Amino acid sequence: MNIVKTYGNYIKKYAGTRPDVSRKMIDVGLHLEKFRTEHFAPKEMPNAYRKLNTLGVKNTLFALEHPEQTIWSNLFAPVEIFQCFGLNALSMECLSSFLSGFTCEDYFIDQAEQRGIAPTLCSYHKDFIGAVNSGVIPKAAFAVTTSMICDGNINTFRYIEKNHPIHTYMIDVPNTYSEEAVSYLVTQLKELISTLEELTGKVFHMDELSAVLQRENQSKAYYREFLELQKTRYYPSTLTLQMYMLFATHLNIGSEETLDLFRSFAEDIKNYPEFHGKRIVWVHLLPFYQETLKHYFNLGKDYQIQVTEMNLDYMDELDVNHPLEALATKMLNNLYNGPYERKAAMVAKLAREMNADGVINFCHWGCKQSSGGVFQLKEAMKKENIPLLVLDGDAMDRRNSHDGQIKTRLEAFLEVLDNQNGGN
Amino acid sequence: MLGYVCKYTPMELFESMGTDIKRLTPSVTDFNHADTLMHANICSYTKAVLEEVMEQDYDGVILTTCCDSIRRLYDTLKSQFPDKFFFLLDIPRKVNDFAVTLYEKQLREMLSAYEAFSGKKFDEQKFLSMMLNKAALTKAESKKNAAEITTDVSKTSVNIGIMGARCNNEIRELLTSHQANILFDLTCTGISRDFTVAKENVLNSYAAALLNQIPCMRMLKAASRETLLDGFTDRLDGIVYHTVKFCDSYSYEYADFKQRLNLPFLLVETDSTKQCAGQIRTRVEAFVEELKVKKGYSLTGQNKKSIRKGDTLYTLGIDSGSTSTNAVILDENKNIRAFSVVRTGAKSSQSADAALEDVLKKAGLTQEDISIIVSTGYGRVSIPFADKTVTEISCHGKGAHFLFPDVHTILDIGGQDSKAIRLNDNGEVVDFVMNDKCAAGTGRFLEMMARSLETSLDELGPVSLQSKEDIEISSMCSVFAESEVISLIAQNKEIADIAHGIHKAIAGKAMSLLKRVGLNGGFMMTGGVAKNPGVVAVLEEQLGEKLNIYEEPEIVGALGAALYGVEEMR
Repeated sequence: MNIVKTYGNYIKKYAGTRPDVSRKMIDVGLHLEKFRTEHFAPKEMPNAYRKLNTLGVKNTLFALEHPEQTIWSNLFAPVEIFQCFGLNALSMECLSSFLSGFTCEDYFIDQAEQRGIAPTLCSYHKDFIGAVNSGVIPKAAFAVTTSMICDGNINTFRYIEKNHPIHTYMIDVPNTYSEEAVSYLVTQLKELISTLEELTGKVFHMDELSAVLQRENQSKAYYREFLELQKTRYYPSTLTLQMYMLFATHLNIGSEETLDLFRSFAEDIKNYPEFHGKRIVWVHLLPFYQETLKHYFNLGKDYQIQVTEMNLDYMDELDVNHPLEALATKMLNNLYNGPYERKAAMVAKLAREMNADGVINFCHWGCKQSSGGVFQLKEAMKKENIPLLVLDGDAMDRRNSHDGQIKTRLEAFLEVLDNQNGGN
Repeated sequence: MLGYVCKYTPMELFESMGTDIKRLTPSVTDFNHADTLMHANICSYTKAVLEEVMEQDYDGVILTTCCDSIRRLYDTLKSQFPDKFFFLLDIPRKVNDFAVTLYEKQLREMLSAYEAFSGKKFDEQKFLSMMLNKAALTKAESKKNAAEITTDVSKTSVNIGIMGARCNNEIRELLTSHQANILFDLTCTGISRDFTVAKENVLNSYAAALLNQIPCMRMLKAASRETLLDGFTDRLDGIVYHTVKFCDSYSYEYADFKQRLNLPFLLVETDSTKQCAGQIRTRVEAFVEELKVKKGYSLTGQNKKSIRKGDTLYTLGIDSGSTSTNAVILDENKNIRAFSVVRTGAKSSQSADAALEDVLKKAGLTQEDISIIVSTGYGRVSIPFADKTVTEISCHGKGAHFLFPDVHTILDIGGQDSKAIRLNDNGEVVDFVMNDKCAAGTGRFLEMMARSLETSLDELGPVSLQSKEDIEISSMCSVFAESEVISLIAQNKEIADIAHGIHKAIAGKAMSLLKRVGLNGGFMMTGGVAKNPGVVAVLEEQLGEKLNIYEEPEIVGALGAALYGVEEMR
């Protein structure tokens, strides 16, 4: 039995009776992981990805060790505002992923389901609810969620708020952009700001927010430079790192450290050679633990995931002169908000521009907004004449992904890609 | 004709334009279109709406952003039927002036889109007078009703409230046909539409009225939904909580209420197919029985039989299950005279005849000697010779308490479902949960696995006790688990170890069922799977307690039914 799994079994063992012991074990485990990523990362792993690796672990560790400076949020919350108050976002998606990294997800998911939470709900949400219910996660100072993209957001945060009193602000994001929608959102952002002012005793300065957005714009500019080279270069990553990118593109976007990270990506890739294998654009989440996918994609030389589309859900320049309106627009025009055809069109365009050989869409268990659009994505990719593979599974609950099924589908797909080039 | 799905839809606007608009309540046989055009794992109501729209001739559908599945349904319909009228209304989750303005704007956009589509014209004055008329009518009706209601709630009935996601008529009918009184139906299909519209700013006030309805779970104000129960607490006996397969929003409220409110809850999940009626029947009937027992009513009715047919009175209980049909004959002193277990064939009534014949033969009696026959089990209603029917939940409770008076928690694993039942000290059912529709954790699962391992079902248990290596079957789904077992065979793993892994998987499922009713000491296992020493061993290890198992674990339900018969005669 591997060490992580044994460790995870102990976390689970204590979660029911001594949540404080489990909490301590998670903390120690993350310290070890941080040390490992800083000093023992595989030598094939590029520098910028090493930095990213450390950022992800450090970010989570900080949230667990400093709950008083932490906001529980979802992935799409306006973290730029939190930064102006010196607050750190711990997204429930990322926290759940870490618990899955310790192979504990089954315990917490079962815990939530036994309370009556639907088994068909997204595993990230169930895991988060189970972990909070069990008391292994220290309670944050505040919670913020947006309603956009996922049905679970409002309901999960409301359930947590009700059962573990934690002050929560919910941002209702309309489905599409309009001027009225922007003002509806701006009013809410102002409300959020004054709530945070009250909570922290700090005064909010619009200039600071503008500076955060400025750095966000610069970060995205570096990211575009990086992607330009990623079209042709070999810059190996792993499934986990593709997911970790969300720490940079979402949860910490706008910070100095993240700007520095994106700069590193743009610089570092220049030192890498041309790639001659098959290029994949990944859509939505990645099951970082999945053996077959790890075998083909983790630091692999034959197949490379160039980019995960979720990291590009909003790439427009933010108007630093109207920061609140800019954040409202960012939420409204997020690629995952509104009709699926926008997203399908973007994926098609992305795959074309990245010279991708194939696209893989992962249907995560419980995610209706992504599963429900699969057919339209298929149609869009057909028009583009780029092969698409749809995989069903679970990005974090191992029990909902079946290796045999994924292996057969993936290998058949890769054979198709290999044969295609043989013809050219 | 247009269709709509959500209570926030401004259907009165269409009505005022003379357009027929109907709430979609589909009941389908399969999801062939939806599984191709969308995905299997989205809300089954949504899939059923897609099936219905594809089969029937609607001019269009008005949808709302009520959930992710419906948002994708809109995307799908629009691309499949470019010539029809589909409109997606974005319902704000907060209700304030901004939200009302936002919604009013959408109503106007929808109206002009529909005018362009249909060539009809919206007339605000006409709409206003229609709404005023409606309001006047509603007022008159409620006055009339108030006069009629004499609060004569029959004493033998139980008062049930319905909550949760959209609820079809089947559940309401099931409840009323079992003398349950429906106190309220707070699902979105049970709420009346009486809106007050102002004479000025007509559309704005209409938008506000729509948004101010009882909030559904997507609205921010849903946090206050608990107060909806305030007026009923003195009379309310229990709540039927309805959810839709793959709609998760309401499970939060169920989890929350069940934890905090001191009320019996029944969770019923449907999937908009015609097939699910049988499965909900047992749950709803058992729930009504549970509540009746709590109020001290007899389950088998008032007209007691006391016809003495011979020197001794006999009763017969018959349990028609998916795998076996079991019968028990009791004498009036509750001694078991004979029992029989026969395999259920293609027709449950024939198997029931066979079991009846067999048990009578074993007892040396004829049907004439039996005073009363009580049937239970999935096939209980298709047994023509039964005098009474009681659900298998109540019967298992009755039988278990009779055999082991200290039992508080029963685990029954049968061929196609498994259930956990909690009893109070008097042996009355106080809670139960069932798992079906899915073979995981049932006898059927074991049968499939035994077949893959090429052993018999009887051997599987003893073999697993020889296990030396700990193997985990991680898949919850029986189809996936089967291929996992096949790949373990390919890896040349020992059959004993694989069998042990399979039993652990079953026990894991069973444990989560048990936890849902609460782990109250005094455990009993019933059903055919209780004969498998491998499953029993793993369960006992996990519970840290011995399981009470009757020598014939399959007949506990039939025994309970026969006991109801004995009670009937006194």
